[in-house]
Amino acid sequence: MNSNYEIVVGLEVHAELSTETKIFCGCKNEFGAEVNTNVCPVCMGLPGTLPVLNEQVVEYAIKMGHAMNCTINGTTKQDRKNYFYPDLPKSYQISQFDIPLCENGYLDVLVGDEVKRIGVTRIHIEEDAGKLIHDDSLGGSLADYNRCGVPLIEIVSEPDIRSADEAKAYLDTIHTTLLYLGISDAKMQEGSVRCDVNVSVRPVGSTEFGTRVEMKNVNSFSAAHRAINYEAARQIKVLENGGEIVQETRRWDDVKGVNVLLRSKEDAQDYRYFPDPDLLTFVVSDEKIAEIKASIPELPVAKTMRYMSEYKLSRADSELLALNKNTAAFFEAVIATGKCEPKSVSNWILGDIYKVLNERKCEITDLALTPVNLAEMISLIEKKTISNAAGKTVLEVILDADKDPNEIVKEKGLAQVSDTSALNAIVEKVLANNEKAVTDFKNGKTNVVGFLVGQCMKESKGKGNPAMLKDMVVAAIEKM
Amino acid sequence: MDKLYSLTAAQMKDLLDRKEVTSVEITKSVIDRIEKTDGEIQAYTSYNFDQALQQAAAADEKRAKGETVSELAGIPVAVKDNMCTKNLRTTAGSKMLGNFVPPYNATVVEKLIADGAVIIGKTTMDEFAMGSSGENSAFQVARNPWDTTRVPGGSSSGSAATVAASQVPLALGSDTGGSIRQPACLTGIVGMKPTYGAVSRYGLIAYGSSLDQIGPMARTVDDAAMLFKAICGKDKMDATSKDYTYTPYGDSVKGMKLGLPKEYFGEGISAEVKERIYQAVEVLKAQGAEIVEVSLPSTDYALSAYYIIACAEASSNLGRYDGVKYGFTGSDRSSLENLYVSSRSEGFGEEVQRRILLGTYVLSSGFYDAYYKKAKVLQKVIAKEFDDALKLCDAIITPLNPTTAFKIGEKSNDPVAMWAGDICTVTLNIAGLPGINVPCGFDSNNMPIGFQVLGRKFSESTLLTIAKCYENTVGGFAVKEF
Amino acid sequence: MEIDIMRLAKLAKLSIPEEKVEEFRKKMEDIIQMVEKLPDLDTQGSLVDPTNTMELRKDEVQPSFPRDEMLQNAPYTAAGCILIPKVVD
Repeated sequence: MNSNYEIVVGLEVHAELSTETKIFCGCKNEFGAEVNTNVCPVCMGLPGTLPVLNEQVVEYAIKMGHAMNCTINGTTKQDRKNYFYPDLPKSYQISQFDIPLCENGYLDVLVGDEVKRIGVTRIHIEEDAGKLIHDDSLGGSLADYNRCGVPLIEIVSEPDIRSADEAKAYLDTIHTTLLYLGISDAKMQEGSVRCDVNVSVRPVGSTEFGTRVEMKNVNSFSAAHRAINYEAARQIKVLENGGEIVQETRRWDDVKGVNVLLRSKEDAQDYRYFPDPDLLTFVVSDEKIAEIKASIPELPVAKTMRYMSEYKLSRADSELLALNKNTAAFFEAVIATGKCEPKSVSNWILGDIYKVLNERKCEITDLALTPVNLAEMISLIEKKTISNAAGKTVLEVILDADKDPNEIVKEKGLAQVSDTSALNAIVEKVLANNEKAVTDFKNGKTNVVGFLVGQCMKESKGKGNPAMLKDMVVAAIEKM
Repeated sequence: MDKLYSLTAAQMKDLLDRKEVTSVEITKSVIDRIEKTDGEIQAYTSYNFDQALQQAAAADEKRAKGETVSELAGIPVAVKDNMCTKNLRTTAGSKMLGNFVPPYNATVVEKLIADGAVIIGKTTMDEFAMGSSGENSAFQVARNPWDTTRVPGGSSSGSAATVAASQVPLALGSDTGGSIRQPACLTGIVGMKPTYGAVSRYGLIAYGSSLDQIGPMARTVDDAAMLFKAICGKDKMDATSKDYTYTPYGDSVKGMKLGLPKEYFGEGISAEVKERIYQAVEVLKAQGAEIVEVSLPSTDYALSAYYIIACAEASSNLGRYDGVKYGFTGSDRSSLENLYVSSRSEGFGEEVQRRILLGTYVLSSGFYDAYYKKAKVLQKVIAKEFDDALKLCDAIITPLNPTTAFKIGEKSNDPVAMWAGDICTVTLNIAGLPGINVPCGFDSNNMPIGFQVLGRKFSESTLLTIAKCYENTVGGFAVKEF
Repeated sequence: MEIDIMRLAKLAKLSIPEEKVEEFRKKMEDIIQMVEKLPDLDTQGSLVDPTNTMELRKDEVQPSFPRDEMLQNAPYTAAGCILIPKVVD
C-alpha cells in the first residue's frame, strides 16, 4: 500500500437476531426451512395486513446498544423505506430513520496490542428481505419469502477505521459480542451477519475525508479485509494517475477478488422515508432500559484486558480465552476454585484441551470435563504430586469422565516418588551406568545434567520428582 | 311474510327472536331483492349467496337449539369490497385486484362471522377507496337509489346504495376522508366513522393508513349502533387499535351543548343545505340542547393536509401491487422493471395513479419537509383546535357535504372540484375523531341532505344519542321506495 | 411550480403515455396548488408522538399459512416459489 495515503473505512453491519418469531408476525424465525413455509399474510405483505412489533427485538437491540456504549432512545418509532424489489413484498422495508433505538456509542477493539476506539453512529431495528434464487432453466428468478420479516439490527460505525486490519478486528469484536449477548447466531455462512463497506482514501495528514465508495456483497469478514485493501489500492491508483474518485456503489466479487460498478450517485435511490402509520410511537421505560443494561455480561475485549492485567497472561492467550464465551466461563470457573495458577490453567486450556476441541470440532461445554477436576489435576502438578507427563494421562481420563484426579493417580500409580532413599538408589545406578556424562560434567559441561535427570526419570518410570532428582544428581557428582 | 328485505336489522332480530321468521327466509328475500334490483343499482362487485344461505341456516340452527346468539345472528350484512374475505374475491374496486382471493378474513369480517351474521356480498367502491362519487370503480358505477342518474357518493358507494335501496339493512363502509359519511349523506342513510383506533383495520386494504377507519351504515340509528357494537374493540393484529368499551346511548339531548363552527357554514356550502341544517339545529334546540358558537380556524388548511397525508401513505401502501405476488400482472415480462411498470400502469386507474404520483412527490427528497412534515404538524394543530372547541361543547354540528348528489359524469374530469367537496369531512379523519351523518330532509330535486355530528375521541355514544334524538323527533328517516 | 412528472413516474414505477403527460402535469399542478395552501409552521423536530403509543407483541410463535394458500394468487409459480423475470443483484 502506498504509504502517502491513509485509508478511511466506515462499516454498516447487519445482524439477524435470534428471536423465536419474526419482527412483525408470529411466523417462526428459522433458517433453512423449506421455501415459502414460514410465511403468513403479514410477512408476505398481502393487502390489508398490518405489522405488530415483537418486544424481544427491541430488547435485543437495546442489549447490543448497551454493549456498544450507546445512548438508548427509549421513545422512538419505525419508518418506511420505500423501494421496489421482488424480495421486498410490501415495496417498503420497515426500518428506523431519524430516531434509531441506539446511537452515539463506541466499541473498543484490540488491534495488535493497541486498544482502538471505533465510534458507533447508530444501531436501529429493521426487517430482513426474502431470498431470490436464480434459475436459468426456468428463465427467471424464484422468490422465497421465508426470510421476510426476520429481525435485523443495523450497526453503523463512524469513519474511524484506518486499515483493513482494524476493520477485521472491529467485525470480529461485533461477532463475539453478538454471541456473548446471545442475541444472534451470527453465522456468516447462513448470511445472518452481513456488511456494507464504505472506503475512502486521503493523503496522510489531511483532515478532510476523501470521496467515499460503498461496497455491497461483502459476505464474510475476511472478504471485508480483502475488499478494503483492493478498493483502497484502486482509489490510490486513480488519484496517483491524476484522476478523481466518484461517489458510487460497487459490488465486491470475492472469487475474482475485484469489485465492479453497481450504480453511480446519479442513480441514487430516493427512499422517501416517512413514519410507518401502522406502527405508533413506542416507549421503553428507563427502568426497563436499566434492567437490560444490568443483564449485560462482561464482554470479550474487557475480559481480554482483565486477563492480561489480573492474571498476567499474554495478549494472545487472553484474547483466545476470552473470544469464546464458553471457554472463558470455563477458564474463570477453574480459577475460581483457587487451587491453581491462572497461567497453568491457560496453558492447559489453550494447549491440550484446545487440541481436543479442534479434533472433535466441539465446544468445551460438550466435554465431560469439569472445572473442578481440571483444577484438581493442575494443582496435583503444582504440588508436585504428579509430573506434567502424568497430568496428561489424567487429563485423557477426565476429558470424558467426571472422575476425581486423585483416584486416577492412585489407580494408575502415577504419584511422583519423592522418597530420598528410593531416589538415591536410582541416582547411584544412573551415575554408575553413565561414566562419560559424569566426566563431562566434572569437566565443566554442566548441561549434561538434563540428560542425567532424564535417565533418572526413565529409570523411575516417570514417577520421580525431576526437581529433586536434579538436586540429587548434582550433589552426588560433587561428592565423587 | 312480505318484503322481509325491507325490514331494519332491529325488526329482523325481533322476528327471529320470536321465531316468526327464519334467517334463511330473510336471506332468500334479500337475495331475491338484490337479484331484481342490482342490475340498476350496481351495488355489488361479488355476491356471496351460497355461503350466505349456509350462514343463515347455521344461525337458524343455533336459534332453534335455544343457544344464546349475538344480536346480528342471522342478519344479512353487506361488506365493502376493500375488506378481505377468505376465499371470496376482494377487489378494492380495482382491476389490479380483479382476481384476488384472500387467504384470510379481515378482523371485522371474522367478528361478523363469529356473531353469526350473514355476509351477503361485497360492495362496489371507488378504486382503492379513492373517490367521492363511485365513478372511480374499475368495474361499475353504483347508482343513487333516489335518482339513478346521480352518484351515490363514495368511496363506500355500493354500501350506501344497497342500504338506501333496501336491498339489505346493514353494510360496512370505510372512511379515510369521508367515505362512509358522504355517501350516507347523499343517499339519505346513517353512516358513522368511529374514532381512529375504535375498530380494527386488520384486513382493510389500506388507502391512508393513519386515517382509514371502518364503520357502520344503516337506515336507522339503532341499526348503525348494533353493527358498530359488533365490530369495535382492540385487536392484537392492529397496533393502532385501542381498548374500547361500547357504551349504550340514550335519546335525549336535554342539557347538552352543541357547537356550531362558523368556518363550516361558509360560501362553499349550498344555501339549501345550510337551510336544512339550521332547521335540524332548531329541532335539537327544541329538545333541550344549548347551541354555542365555536371556532376551528385551521379548517381551510385541512383539505391540503388531508390530501398530502393520505396520498403519501397511499403511494407507499400501493407499492405492493407490482404484478409479482398477486393480482393483475402486466403484459410486459421482458424485464423486472417492465413487469413493474406495465403491471402498475395497466392495473391502476387514472385517479389512483394521480394520487400515487402526488404522494410520491410530497415524500420525495427536497419536498418532504415542505409538504409531508408540514401536513403532519398541521394535523396536530387541527386536532388541538378540535380539542379546544370540544371543551366548550359536547358535540359539534356541521354540514356533511356542500351539495347534494350530482349527476354521474358531472365532475369526474375535474379532480380539484371533486376533492374540494371533501372539505366538511376530512377534518375528522385528520383529527382522528368520530362523526356521524344524520339525514335531515331533501333539496328541491328531492335529493337527501344530511348533517354531521362529531365529538371527542371515543364519544360514539354521545353522537348516537344526538342522532337518535333527532330521528325520534322527526319521526324517523325517509326510505326510498325502490 | 414545475413538476418533474417523469421523475415521479419513474420512482412510482408508472408509465404515463406521451400524449397524457401534459394533461397529467396540468392536473397535478392544480392539485399541488391546492395542497400548497399550508400556513407557515415550524417543522423542526421529529414526528415521534409520545401521547399516542402502542403496545408490543410477545415473542410467541403463531402457525404460518399453508404454502399453496399463500401462493394461490401468484400469477407465476415454480418449485414452491414465485417466478419473476431474471434479476441479478
